[in-house]
Amino acid sequence: MSRSLTTPAASRLPLLAAALVAAPVLVGAGYAILASLGLAGPGQAANGMLDASRWHFVLSSRSTWWSIGWSLQVAIISTALATLGAVVVAAAFSTSTRADRWARGVATLPLPVPHLVAAASALLVLGQSGLLARIGYALGLVQTPADMPPLVYDAPGVGLMLTLAWKEWTFLALVAIAVRGSIGDLYDETATGLGARTWTRWRLVTWPLLWRGLLPSVIAVFVFALGSYEAAVLLAPVQPAPLPVLTMERFADPALARRGDAYVLALLALGIAALAVGLHEWSRARWSRLHTDTTRGASS
Amino acid sequence: MESRPVVASAHRHDAWCIVVTTRLPAPHLLRPIALLALVLFSLGPMLLLVLQSFAFGWRWPTLWPDTLQLDAWRNVSSGTLGRGLFTSAGLAIATTCAAVLFALPIARGMATLPRPWSHIAAALVFLPVAAPPIALGAGLHVVALQLGVAGSWSGVWLAHCVPAVGYATLVLTGVLSTRDARDEEVARTLGASAVHRWRYVLLPQLRGALTEAAAVAFLVSWAQVALTLLVGGGAVRALPIEVLALVRAGQETEAAVGAVLLVLPAMLALSALRRGAARV
Amino acid sequence: MCVLTAWVASGCGASGRDSAANDRASVVSAADELATLTALPWDSVVERARGTTVIWRKWRGDPAINAFVDGWVAEQLRTRYDVRLEAVEGQGAELVNQLVLEREAGRGRGTASLLWINGETFAQLRAESLLAGPWAGVLPSAAYVDSASPIITRDFEQDPAGYESPWGSVQFALIHDTVRTPEPPRTFAELAAWIQAHPGRFTHDQGFTGVTFLKMLMYANGGGVDAFAGGFSEERYARGRTAVFEWLARVRPQLWRKGTTYPPDVAAMHRLFANNELDFSMSNNQHDVINKIRQGVLPPTARATLLRDGTIANAHYVGIPFNAPNPAGALVVAELLLSPQAQYQKLRPEVWADGTVLDVTRVPEPWRSRFASLAQDPRALSRDSLARYARPEVAPAYHERLQADWRAWVRGDTARRE
Repeated sequence: MSRSLTTPAASRLPLLAAALVAAPVLVGAGYAILASLGLAGPGQAANGMLDASRWHFVLSSRSTWWSIGWSLQVAIISTALATLGAVVVAAAFSTSTRADRWARGVATLPLPVPHLVAAASALLVLGQSGLLARIGYALGLVQTPADMPPLVYDAPGVGLMLTLAWKEWTFLALVAIAVRGSIGDLYDETATGLGARTWTRWRLVTWPLLWRGLLPSVIAVFVFALGSYEAAVLLAPVQPAPLPVLTMERFADPALARRGDAYVLALLALGIAALAVGLHEWSRARWSRLHTDTTRGASS
Repeated sequence: MESRPVVASAHRHDAWCIVVTTRLPAPHLLRPIALLALVLFSLGPMLLLVLQSFAFGWRWPTLWPDTLQLDAWRNVSSGTLGRGLFTSAGLAIATTCAAVLFALPIARGMATLPRPWSHIAAALVFLPVAAPPIALGAGLHVVALQLGVAGSWSGVWLAHCVPAVGYATLVLTGVLSTRDARDEEVARTLGASAVHRWRYVLLPQLRGALTEAAAVAFLVSWAQVALTLLVGGGAVRALPIEVLALVRAGQETEAAVGAVLLVLPAMLALSALRRGAARV
Repeated sequence: MCVLTAWVASGCGASGRDSAANDRASVVSAADELATLTALPWDSVVERARGTTVIWRKWRGDPAINAFVDGWVAEQLRTRYDVRLEAVEGQGAELVNQLVLEREAGRGRGTASLLWINGETFAQLRAESLLAGPWAGVLPSAAYVDSASPIITRDFEQDPAGYESPWGSVQFALIHDTVRTPEPPRTFAELAAWIQAHPGRFTHDQGFTGVTFLKMLMYANGGGVDAFAGGFSEERYARGRTAVFEWLARVRPQLWRKGTTYPPDVAAMHRLFANNELDFSMSNNQHDVINKIRQGVLPPTARATLLRDGTIANAHYVGIPFNAPNPAGALVVAELLLSPQAQYQKLRPEVWADGTVLDVTRVPEPWRSRFASLAQDPRALSRDSLARYARPEVAPAYHERLQADWRAWVRGDTARRE
């Protein structure tokens, strides 16, 4: 292989290139650290001295932790729902018949729908006076909008969860279909030949390979759900406020000195994202070899 | 995989499976119902938006708009939505070109890195993709201000390229690290130049992945809201920004028109791309 | 990597500070340029602006305003002054943040030459020295401004001092449906009784309009607007705050969603109102309801109503940022917006019906007679009742404190003073 011909310095070049791609995030993080300490940005202290009061305020404020907890909860539940839906699609429409291929296409068609559009249509459908409520009215189940259980602007954030789940489901379905396709039918057929039932085949053959192949994407989807601002601002309640909404609120705080809070919150969000990135890479590294081996094994 | 555990567990779960399969009413209807549910769930919201885009006065409790009209659509070419469409298209195409151009050598390089470094590199590349847009946008804004491109098309283009390159690199790395590199080796030992190797061996092998990477980069730029807002400062009016403004202003019909314009061309392009790639 | 990051990040700050001296030259020259222009005769300013582009950052949340600005105003600028206008989104806090960051980067001129501002935004910009001026007095049409109206001559009690030029005025109004609510309450006391009789049918939004509503409540129950005039005072605010939260606490269980959540902005409120989830909406513009009916957003039976306790009227202004790339063009645009022709066009009910800031008895003909004969939309509120119930704004600090305290109250945070 060509590796033996390259010098150690040149072989580090791709690492530097990768670092270059990540550089804007690191620069942003650096600036945010300075801004949160009052050394830069709108919250700059006049005397140029370090001011850690914004950190103290944000970390000791109840609404910060409510916000983080709520955002995490919404992201986890919506990711779980999306994963479930994606797995169902991948498993139910896994053959190569025309209907199944068409179904797979339909499931992944809404991929280009941005969070914003998904949230706007969620308002139209899930609102107390939305499409679901109007269908209920036509069926006589609902007399006024107030009879419809609130799904938007609600404290549990059901509407937001459903919207994020719907958006992420198409992406995860795409990945699940790809993973399912690359697993192939060899193991499945072998197990059937040995007399295993559908559920057993699923539980012991397909599912273990599927979830390991899906895990990196599930973690990625979780991070996207956590950081989404447009959907949150359209559908979330006042209390608890989602983390991106709280961050933007602090950016717009009338007292300039308090705008450093926004940078603190952004750094907290970035920290969670970095953790997820680490997990994502670990899971990819851990199981990509297994995945590759199975594909090689299936095709040989 | 061992055959014995499979058979043993199959016996244990026999009874449960029989219960499941015999209790379901008309299992042959399950498939069409599932298909219908899929179509409704997947395409329903989009169809609703299409209907809303033709609506004038659609309020509780009617299930159909009071009036249907073409006015909102007729205003597209002359109004801000048409301009937004062009801006977004230009940005997305430029981002796709730059992203794929950068991602390919980076991914190839990353595939040659030894074990611990390749994972660190992959994590670094994923960082701009996973970073919350507000944090990423604030950093990019500062960089753009320093470079003097904040509030301009080029600044927003550079900002879009950051997550786009990250995504594209990830897509390509996935393929490059698992593909069979022996064809390229053979070509080299037979004396093919680098250009020839790229043209006749590498690119054909990667065609599917390159298409995928290009599609992803295009989508990242096309649907981008936060970066365009933070780095463009409202001066670069991409289509999603216009749609956001319309939604915020409560203009349901115009927002629906914008949403359809935002989604439909991308949907068609993606399905065409996928059909093309499938044929390969 | 950390070293690299820290170096780059410190470089951003350092270059700001070091080159501040050099760039102060270009920063001063933007304000300097403006100072030179204000000393020139008006025709020279117009000549300087010919063939240039002006980027105006303004609120783009109302299609009626957008149509007026992108259509009529841009057309007039093009044909009369050969100036190209680009009106882009930008308001409030993001404007201030952007300008602070631009000044920090120290890279000479910015992107926007003109800003739509008022109230607390103006206060923050002035406090941070982010506005260039004074310049408003050199506009030819400035002579016709209604200097007797406290709403125009004082922006949230601040003296514009020539750093901003007025261009329109609006007044807050409640919106109700004449079919659902033929007899709307006319005072805050009646409103409280109405809310308690109709649980779940009233609320206010989280944004500017909602806080304006709370401010009106503060005036009404805190002893009248005169009790809060004359600058911000902690004890006066404490009295006002008590009055506001007392009223809110009384009606909270009967508010929409039991007062636990509130619509994010006015547009969401209009949607809820139109879809029969709420019986009232509100707007900072008394004519908004008619514009929205025309756009199909609100039902045709919706009407505006004023509270006899008084509703807040305020003016909006345009300002020139410290790093405006095109001060001459900005002056020309500001003059056009202030001109009797534009003020008349803007006042027409089918365009926007934004109040004029000019004294219509002093403008030259033919505008004087045109203003006098301008027919109002029959559904609009009469000018007399608008004038009778108008209340001016008070110091911006009241608005800021009320907003922060209200948010803390809804979230259950103990109000912290940092």
